[in-house]
This record gives sequence, C-alpha cells and structure tokens, in this order.
Amino acid sequence: MRLITHNMLQCHVKGCTTNNFPLQIQDAELETLEAEFNPGFVQRLIPKLHWGALYHTAVSLGIEDLPEQMPEEVTEDLLRAIHKVALETRVKEGKAVCLGCGHVYPISNGIPNMLLQDNEV
Amino acid sequence: MSTPAAAAGQQPEQLEAQHVHAVYDLIADHFSATRYKPWPVVDSFLREQPLGALGADVGCGNGKYLGVNPDVVMLGSDRSAKLVGICRERGFDAMICDGLMLPYRSSAFVRLRSDFAISIAVIHHFATPERRQHAIAELLRIVRPGGSVLIFVWALEQESQSRRKFDQQDVFVPWKMPKRIYAAGGAGAEGPAADGTASAAPAERTPDEVYQRYYHMFVAGELDALALATGMCSITASGYDRDNHYVILERRP
Repeated sequence: MRLITHNMLQCHVKGCTTNNFPLQIQDAELETLEAEFNPGFVQRLIPKLHWGALYHTAVSLGIEDLPEQMPEEVTEDLLRAIHKVALETRVKEGKAVCLGCGHVYPISNGIPNMLLQDNEV
Repeated sequence: MSTPAAAAGQQPEQLEAQHVHAVYDLIADHFSATRYKPWPVVDSFLREQPLGALGADVGCGNGKYLGVNPDVVMLGSDRSAKLVGICRERGFDAMICDGLMLPYRSSAFVRLRSDFAISIAVIHHFATPERRQHAIAELLRIVRPGGSVLIFVWALEQESQSRRKFDQQDVFVPWKMPKRIYAAGGAGAEGPAADGTASAAPAERTPDEVYQRYYHMFVAGELDALALATGMCSITASGYDRDNHYVILERRP
C-alpha cells in the first residue's frame, strides 16, 4: 500500500464517525518500489493530499523527508520528497488502526484488507 | 444452463458469496490469463483523464486498467483477495474491499479538480436491484461534484455471433477451467520429471472444472434508469459495446 493510498482511506465501520481518519499504521514493515519522477504530476497531486495526515504518518514510520507545514514555494526538492514518500514508499506488512473505534485493518503482503465483519456493517 | 432459481430462498449476500466471491477466488489465475486487453471505451475514458487526476477502479480484477494511463493515480480495489494478489504481483497498488462500502474518505475526492471512478463488469454481480443501485450510489459518493463515473455491465442483448444466449435476466454463467493433473505414479507426483523438465510427465486430461457465476443481465435502458434513481448524477453518455451496456455519469453537486 502506497502512502498516497493510505492518505485516502477512512474507517467505515458503522457508526464510526469521529477520529476515523487517518488510520494509524502500526507494526509496519516498509518497502520501496521505484517510480518514474514526474514533477508536473506530483505538483498536481499536492492539493489532493491531506498534508497533515501524510506528514504525521510519514513521521510515525520514521520518514522525515517532509516539512510539517506545506511550504508556500514548491521546489523540485519538495516534489521529489513527496514523490518518494507518497508514491514510492509502501507498507508491506502491518496494520491500519482506527483511532476512533479501534478497528484493525490488516495489511499483508502489501495488501490492506478493508472488509468488515457482518456485525460492523 | 442452471439458473439462480435453483438457489431460491438464498439471501442475496449468500448468493454473491457463493456464486461470485468464492468463484472468483477459485478461478482467479485462469480468469486473469484471459483478461489483458483493455476495452476501447474504458481505454479512452482513462486516457482522457488529465495529468494528476485521482481515480478509483472498483472491482479492478487483475488490474488490467490500473496501468492504462500512467499520468493518473489509480486506487484499485476488489472483493477477491486472489485477484488483488495478482494486482500486487504486477506491481499495482490495490486493496480488498466491498463495493457497497468503499473505505475512501469522501472528502478525498471532493478536494479534487478532476476525478473519476470506473466499475467494469462488476455491478451485474449484485443480486438485487437495491444492491445494484447501492453500488452505483457508492461510486458516485466517492467522486467530487462534476467528476465522472464509467460503468460497464453485461447486456441481456448479446450480439448475434455471441455464443451466449440468455432467456432471462438472472442467470448462472459457467466458467470452465481446464484442469490437468499428472498421471498417477508419474514423476509429476513428486515434482519435476527425471529429465529435469517440469512438464515432461504425461498430462492426463480430466473433465473441466465448471464454476457457476451469478449474473444479472441488464436490458437496454436499465443501467441508465438505475443510475438516475440514485438522484446523484446526470448521464453524460450511454451505449452498447461488445455485449455490454455502459454509461458515463456526472456527479451532481
């Protein structure tokens, strides 16, 4: 799971409406899959990211390439950092935990399982 | 051809679990090997999306549409863990989820200036009109106002040269999976043959394994009506292509 994908995920357990984003990644094993760097592409992604969620998730995973606040001036260095963190860094193993209701979504072999049990729907 | 009438009394969730979810997990590898060529309407829809657009492929199967346009971010998802595993092997990013409960933050898509979702050959697997409409509403929920949704479903009206003929809308469609086993006592039973080639053991042909997939075959106009019934969209385009009905929807503000 790329971190850009994580940036879009929200807990969808029935009745879980507060503190359901972002999911906290725990017990993570990371991997990197290189992708072609396209500055224009990354620039267009910026307004679609929840910056706080991306920043804090990255920090929780030991990645400190991003500034806490989105700088006003977008440099190529920043675009490269976003590219590396959001598009190339993947969670291979671990779990995504909802801080609102405690639901655990397992991540195995790079794949998050977002299915719920019948009683959670 | 057997029909879901045989499964009368089954809840739609059970029918889908048995005759959609379980079957795709069983046939995933063979299914994937037969799904590589993008359909032209889907291909051009994806290529028309602007640089940096974010899109969801709900029911992405083996991921054949996840890499069509490298200038967009695709979020792939499927109900079949086996098919999502195939996406992963191909280097794509996909997740296991239910098409009636997509785990995306709605605002993620609202923030976009251009956004879209596709659902190709998926919604015909939901077993009631309510669940099919719900699946369409869920696609519309995750795209921003003005964003577009492309949906393909199988048509009851199959082209004349098609092998398939259906006389009712709710049917089981068999998936025949060729099954080869090594002859009993042959080298294959213990792994590679003595000469070192994996396929040297005499293969014995057994009857094909047949799995029944549930389909609701859409009639002309049915998909459009179902989409409009959500009250969430207008129709940008609709048509018929290669035994399928399709529709392109625009999300209302």
